[in-house]
Amino acid sequence: MRKHGLPQSHTAHPNVTPLIDIVMCLIIFFMLVAKIGVSTGADAKITIPATILGQEIKDMGNTLTLNVQEGSPGMPFVTALVKDEVRELKLIDPTNGVRQLFAELSHHRNGPDGKLGTADDNIDFKVIIRGAEDMPYAILEPVLQTCAEAQVKNVNFNTRRGADAVAAAL
Amino acid sequence: MKLRGAKQVHYDSGPNMTPLVDVVMVILIFLMLAGSFVGQEHFLVSNLPFSEQGTGSASPPPGYIPDEPLDIRVDRRPTGDGFIATAGQIRVDNNQDALTQQLLRLRKQLNAAGKPTDTIQVKINPAKDVPYKHLIAVYEAALRAQFERIAFATSH
Repeated sequence: MRKHGLPQSHTAHPNVTPLIDIVMCLIIFFMLVAKIGVSTGADAKITIPATILGQEIKDMGNTLTLNVQEGSPGMPFVTALVKDEVRELKLIDPTNGVRQLFAELSHHRNGPDGKLGTADDNIDFKVIIRGAEDMPYAILEPVLQTCAEAQVKNVNFNTRRGADAVAAAL
Repeated sequence: MKLRGAKQVHYDSGPNMTPLVDVVMVILIFLMLAGSFVGQEHFLVSNLPFSEQGTGSASPPPGYIPDEPLDIRVDRRPTGDGFIATAGQIRVDNNQDALTQQLLRLRKQLNAAGKPTDTIQVKINPAKDVPYKHLIAVYEAALRAQFERIAFATSH
């Protein structure tokens, strides 16, 4: 009679190929969707208003994000990403009288020559206002006026999705 | 003659995948934690009207038809905790839904009077002390009433 012994013991490794396939897909997905190292200059510390409605802006490359909040009482404190650095843009610099915000907006909108109606005009230029929800309109008003003076017609207000909208999306 | 090798278990010995899986998992977790994703924020779009007067005045393009203005005056409540919106005979006290309904009715009236929505320029005319969040609430009410052209005017 033939004896059947115990099967020969060997360490069976699990097949990790499907795991790696799925994980690689997830990595590619996150790399495409996540925005890492891409800064628009938006100040995350500012509490922006919540809305249910809103649109996405596809072309964020042709925009300038203005962080607007109240600085000294009654005066706007505006920051934006200028030459890879977030810095303050004063309405009027008291030291030399330069209108920094206007100059920056005009540079984007009207091109390096700063003149309207020339070949380097950028009519699709957009401004994104990222304003603190509790600031009074007196703070925002001069910023909007400066945008109008620079002939920027496309002004967008950055809001966060309201709780109702998030619940509906889930 | 007995062949020993014939009954030996054949091991499919590929490369050791454990370090690869470790590294890939670390990258995956990093991307999940560090990534800021689209969809947490969005934007209310405004188109400033052409104006031949005031700040930012410009000559309208040829063939430009002036918009039908619709002014919404926004004041802060005396108690300081909300807003009062007034547009013609409409007066709403700190209620975005009610304002939306009133503006929706007004838009339909204007449409019935032969004024297409895309020619109606809504101007939000706030007081200086109205908080930005209330202005955005009024702005959103106008958007929900399906107005297409909304802008802020100078304060009163």
